[in-house]
Amino acid sequence: MLRIFYTSGLTLMIVAGLAAQPAFAETPNQILSSIQSEAKTVPGFQGFSAERGAIFFKTQHGKEFSCTSCHTENTAAQGKHASTGKAILPLAPSANAERFSDPAKVEKWFKRNCNDVVGRVCAAQEKGDVLTYLLTVKK
Amino acid sequence: MKRILIWDVPTRLFHWLLAISFAVAWLTSAKDQWLSVHTFFGYLMLGLIGFRLTWGVAGGHYARFTSFLYSPMTGLAYLRQILSGGGARYVGHNPAGSQAAYLLLALGLVVGVTGLFTQGGEEQHGAVAGMVSFTLGRMFKEAHEITAILMLLMVFGHLAGVAIESWLHKENLPLSMVTGMKDAPEDAPASKPYRLTGALMLVVVSAFGGWWFFYALHQPIEARLGYQVGGKDVPHVAFVGAKLPDNAQWREECGSCHMVFHPSLLPARSWQKMMAEQDKHFGTDLALDAAASKVLLAFMVNNAAEKSATEAALKINGSIKPDAFPLRITETQYWADKHRDIAESDWRLARVKSKTNCAACHLDAEAGTFEDAAMHIPR
Repeated sequence: MLRIFYTSGLTLMIVAGLAAQPAFAETPNQILSSIQSEAKTVPGFQGFSAERGAIFFKTQHGKEFSCTSCHTENTAAQGKHASTGKAILPLAPSANAERFSDPAKVEKWFKRNCNDVVGRVCAAQEKGDVLTYLLTVKK
Repeated sequence: MKRILIWDVPTRLFHWLLAISFAVAWLTSAKDQWLSVHTFFGYLMLGLIGFRLTWGVAGGHYARFTSFLYSPMTGLAYLRQILSGGGARYVGHNPAGSQAAYLLLALGLVVGVTGLFTQGGEEQHGAVAGMVSFTLGRMFKEAHEITAILMLLMVFGHLAGVAIESWLHKENLPLSMVTGMKDAPEDAPASKPYRLTGALMLVVVSAFGGWWFFYALHQPIEARLGYQVGGKDVPHVAFVGAKLPDNAQWREECGSCHMVFHPSLLPARSWQKMMAEQDKHFGTDLALDAAASKVLLAFMVNNAAEKSATEAALKINGSIKPDAFPLRITETQYWADKHRDIAESDWRLARVKSKTNCAACHLDAEAGTFEDAAMHIPR
């Protein structure tokens, strides 16, 4: 009898735990594949490259800031906003599970930060390269 | 002549504790961040005066009002005698000294009570918080300052009287207030010491101080989102203010790039302008979607400075010209006035760096309350 109570309680907890997960939660790989399906619409797409992503991430694009100005060279560590000094949590999914889990946030930040760093909207190729690179960063 | 106890233990304790309270409260009135100490001694002073009024009825012989019930005219006449080199010696309070005692008690009471209402009005803190408006609080502050000055003058008068009297009658009056002993005529009654009441006073005052400083100085700030202000000397927040309206989406959106500046720090028209110009928000296009923009703007407008939720809100809003639309809090006159005396070297401190980093010194900045006692320059 006790055992039934125990197992049903456990089941209930698991169900409640699952229900508490936000509905939009995705994994970085799911987000990457949706970027990929967007990138495929461009003729000549040949997949993403972590190497290209790293270069894009670390170099300036004709503007004052690069991605590393705020996220630093080590994306597994905490960053710092280049003008306000506000701490920025790690960007690499290996160090911060919340990163690249909400498509709406991913879209918002790519839009805002690409504008700051590149001065335009990023291409799906560029976004995919950067995410591929970030997924290779180990904690 | 015989040497007997004149001032009982509670009367002496009262005298010195009152003197200390007044002195410390006076000295800590200069800076906002000492407010918790200033207020402590204000409450202590009120408590002491309350005790003394009771002791004037229930205390030792020379502590009772009946032993020094002189009219102001008698006091003045005595003062004239003293100044012309005469004047009889009194074992207890003399007619002039008793006037000083009455005036100091009365002034202390007024200073304490007006202080209480200043605190309740200007800071919305303390025993009468919420009962007085900011505007009324300001009037109480005027009265508080004027009566405190009068009290200081009275203290100087009292000190001068003690000095003259000591010299004239060749006795050390301040020492008598420590030991309680004086030379008295044979028929003068001695006072009982009332040591137990004195001990009880000390216990109550220490307990009050312990509770106050434990409570006021050891409330850690919890919501210092993202800022690396920490370290072994992280100061504590005294006087955590009333909780201001909050909004999770606003905190998330605004707080991801900079400190969250509570809507109460700028008027509604500033927030409206800021959101209308969000594509050039200090060099960045916020690109917030319509739904998010709407939620944020509503929260900011509904809780803007005009609502006077805090002392800072009221004073910032009052300092902005009606036709001005400041987008930076640092552009407002009140901000400029309050930060004028901050040294350039303090602005350059590693933990401060930017004037947008309110939370470096205002420990409750993230909560938006900006309490006086929660200020601390992280030198």
